[in-house]
Amino acid sequence: MRQAGMYSGILNGGMSGRTGPHLLPLARIKKIMKRSGEDVKMISGEAPIIFSKACELFIEELTQRSWKVTLQGKRRTLHKEDVASAVIATDVFDFLVNVVSESGANSEDTPVVMER
Amino acid sequence: MADEQDLLLPIANVGRIMKQILPPNAKVSKEAKETVQECVSEFVKFVTGEASDKCRKENRRTVTGDDICWALSALGLDNHAEAIVRYLHKVQNEVDSTRTKSGASDYKCIQAGKQTETPTPLLLFKVTDQNGSSSFTKLS
Repeated sequence: MRQAGMYSGILNGGMSGRTGPHLLPLARIKKIMKRSGEDVKMISGEAPIIFSKACELFIEELTQRSWKVTLQGKRRTLHKEDVASAVIATDVFDFLVNVVSESGANSEDTPVVMER
Repeated sequence: MADEQDLLLPIANVGRIMKQILPPNAKVSKEAKETVQECVSEFVKFVTGEASDKCRKENRRTVTGDDICWALSALGLDNHAEAIVRYLHKVQNEVDSTRTKSGASDYKCIQAGKQTETPTPLLLFKVTDQNGSSSFTKLS
């Protein structure tokens, strides 16, 4: 049973007012979901909506943990290194280690060639 | 690359969510927002991959909100599972109000710490007495 009609308003703008305005664009979330793998073919209408909430909570948690690192450094500006530290210090964020280390590789530090 | 940009959530939205959790005098560098942007995309892909694997194993073609909730729990990213599940119920209730649908989804895996009463089917226990006649007794 197609749910497109019911969710098209939510998927297109998120301002349908049914579940309230969404902080994150649902169409973009759906696009990212589709890129996660070849076998992701069909996504129910509610999945991006759930993700919009989950992502919001994820961002909040990551930001809170990063801010703690910022405060430990007695600073008031949250830098990407603080995000990297928070990721490394949190077990369940292991899947992000490559993301933050790639960000670090693009920093102003002189690139180090690792020979393995 | 336009293709790469499509894989990220808008930096303005990400930045806004970050700001709303931080104290008013906090500042966030642009690079930090970009890093969080990339982390969120990876989060979506990671959780979706897990949910999609489950669907494939169960021979289902559609990744549902339930699958996302399950994957969040399975990956240990369910600190806020209750909030997310409440949100899912809210969404589903709004769907239910326009079409009749029986049977709530089973969230036992997420509500492990909080034993709520999920409706269980009536168990009928067939009792046969010495005369051979039988009756059904409800197993409470």
